[in-house]
Amino acid sequence: MPKIKPPRKNPVIDMTAMCDVSFLLLTFFILTAKFKPTEVVAVDLPSSRSSKLVENVCMITINKDGRAFLSLKETTTRYAMLDQMTEKYGEKYPELKALTPQQKNFFALIETWGTPIKDIQRVLSMDGTEFKNYQAKQMQGIPYDSLHSELGDWVQASRYATEGDIKIGIKGDKDVSVQDVKQVINRLTEKDIHRFLLITTLTGPNHSDEEGGNTGTEGETKTQ
Amino acid sequence: MADIESSGGGGHGKHDGGPRSKKMSTRVDLTPMVDLAFLLITFFMLTTTLNKPKAMELNMPKKVDNKDEQQDVGDCQVLNILLDTLDQVWYYDGLQVTGLQKTTFAGDGGIRKVILKKIKTVPEECPLTKKGKKRDAIVLIKMLEGARYKNMVDILDEMDITGCKIYAIQDADPLEKEAIANGGSAKPIEEKVSQ
Repeated sequence: MPKIKPPRKNPVIDMTAMCDVSFLLLTFFILTAKFKPTEVVAVDLPSSRSSKLVENVCMITINKDGRAFLSLKETTTRYAMLDQMTEKYGEKYPELKALTPQQKNFFALIETWGTPIKDIQRVLSMDGTEFKNYQAKQMQGIPYDSLHSELGDWVQASRYATEGDIKIGIKGDKDVSVQDVKQVINRLTEKDIHRFLLITTLTGPNHSDEEGGNTGTEGETKTQ
Repeated sequence: MADIESSGGGGHGKHDGGPRSKKMSTRVDLTPMVDLAFLLITFFMLTTTLNKPKAMELNMPKKVDNKDEQQDVGDCQVLNILLDTLDQVWYYDGLQVTGLQKTTFAGDGGIRKVILKKIKTVPEECPLTKKGKKRDAIVLIKMLEGARYKNMVDILDEMDITGCKIYAIQDADPLEKEAIANGGSAKPIEEKVSQ
């Protein structure tokens, strides 16, 4: 008589299907992940509590020295912006009219732009490595002082290029002087742009690097 | 199923009693592989979503020339906040530059408390507007030249946290700069009346 063996149950589960699924997902996430664009201008962002996501933005980067740079994500937008700029402000900046189609194409490839218009010819006729070198070391920013504000014109042109469907982001270094940021904002309000997105990183509400202290003052003055 | 060692595979069945040939199972345990895959998935998921920059909205006012559209500002509803170059926050009530107090951005005892208090007291204590409405606190944010941008973001963040609805960013006027310069020594500033 053969003994009746209770069937031994193996608790091990087949992992193959699980493995398939997880690798499928992994592939998906790897493929959809975008590389962080190489930052031409290094900026240390301030932190805030707000959590609004940024999309479709004409970004004005202000670095530590108060130089301003303009970045647009899409190549086509950049091309359109240059076209609009030439069209609207061609009289003001004759250098723009003299650009060759080749130079315009080169402009469209540059994500972060930070050159005064008087240098645009020279910069756009550089070759790849020369330009990279220039971008890393010598880019002096777009002028935005009240006398010759090119920044306002550029931003205006980017708005024309997208038919107003673009937000204006300001990405300031946390150590930059408020004065510079204010100047930029003033130039844009002159162009009837009143809404801005201040780009920040997300952190908790505590500001640990401040020290407490409470000193009263007895300034007594009157103002109008 | 997915383990390497199939427990005594030849133990029962046909090969009973025969020479125990080693039958290597071709099955591989995939559990660590799955672990790894999920770990990587988690990593990619988190990095793709957390990398996006966040933004804070700032609406600057349009220039209003029409007197009727301009809001009348009562002396008692105003709180002035000044940011200086040393990351300090100064504040005073009302439209007269007087009695500046120094504080910080610290979470609990800092400027937040001051703003919250102001928001609470203004509708109760201030006289009604000409149209008979209750007044709300108005915060005037003034930044000295050379103040860091970080502080501007911080104070705007405080506006968001405290829920202060009316605030304006302005330039500090000379009297206020003078008051801050003298603030540490608590020397009373001579009374000045412009016009």
